[in-house]
Amino acid sequence: MKTESCLRYLEDPEANAGHLADCAECRALFGEHDDVPAKPLALDALPLAPWEGASHRAWPLVISGIVVALISAAVLCVVAGMTPLQVVERAFKSVQSMRAFVFTSADALREASRGAQIAFAAAFIVVNGVLVALLRRSPRGIDA
Amino acid sequence: MRRMLRLFVPLTIAGATLVTGMIASPAEPAAKFDLRSITLQQAASMVQQTAVSVSLLAVWILAAVALTLMSGREVRASSTEVRASALHCFTLGLVAVTSFVLTAIVFSYLIPFFVGVPLLFALAVFAVITKIYGMVAVFHAAGSIIAGVRSREQLASRKWLRGDLAMTVIGALLLGGIRLIPVVGPIVWGLASVFGIGTALATKFGRREPWFLAWRPQEA
Repeated sequence: MKTESCLRYLEDPEANAGHLADCAECRALFGEHDDVPAKPLALDALPLAPWEGASHRAWPLVISGIVVALISAAVLCVVAGMTPLQVVERAFKSVQSMRAFVFTSADALREASRGAQIAFAAAFIVVNGVLVALLRRSPRGIDA
Repeated sequence: MRRMLRLFVPLTIAGATLVTGMIASPAEPAAKFDLRSITLQQAASMVQQTAVSVSLLAVWILAAVALTLMSGREVRASSTEVRASALHCFTLGLVAVTSFVLTAIVFSYLIPFFVGVPLLFALAVFAVITKIYGMVAVFHAAGSIIAGVRSREQLASRKWLRGDLAMTVIGALLLGGIRLIPVVGPIVWGLASVFGIGTALATKFGRREPWFLAWRPQEA
């Protein structure tokens, strides 16, 4: 883009098409580049993307997995002499202990001193502040 | 801001680990496992515990299959995230579990003021959804690590062992099997839960959208 001729070509490329033959710089920028050898793209050499083959549904494997788990559960329940209701009750035991922990802690907090309540409030704000700061980071997954 | 984060993040993670450990630890101390002195009652209790664990595993597999069929792409995105930045997901999971617990205590504190009950219910629903989605993402990640396809030749040669659904089921069976091991199993399952909650929140349930809108002042 140094000469008057280059500027004239930029203003009207069709009328000044002959300029490309004279100026190497403009030819490199706007030329056809027929001399550049086209590199063949080997798709198989590229790494496997996570979505390739992901939509395949392996029903035999899925059904056999579910059947094995259900039969094992049924056999073990029969051996242990448990009804489905008892299984559900036992499964929710951890939820009940969690609920008891939260309610006990809330009761303790109500009866705690003002200083302890302020310390709890500070911990609550700090933890949630750090959570918000960590959530602001964008996920890396695909780019990693 | 960055300096404050450098100070607060390790302290919060240490605190979060403590809180998560307190919650995850069993209410009753585990009896010393000695096969020679085991009573019939203890053996029956162990069989019952195994029956409950296997029944829960069956439910987890059904939930994982349903969720993967409904939103396979999102589960895959979260699974990729947990493998690509595991430490971030783990840290986020620890802090999120602590935040859930502290928030639940605050909402329970507010129960006498009536707003506590709906807030506590909403928090519980959100926590349960996060845990279920996150666990399914961890199942997918575990399945992909163990039995994932590494090359196109492998992909072409495999008939069953490929696809999101297969990876999720394999991961669920693997982690469910590990969960049956005494002492080690619940620890591994608990760690998987922390990873799962972390990855669910880090990827916004696989949607990879920001949680918060960035404020940009209008240029003059």
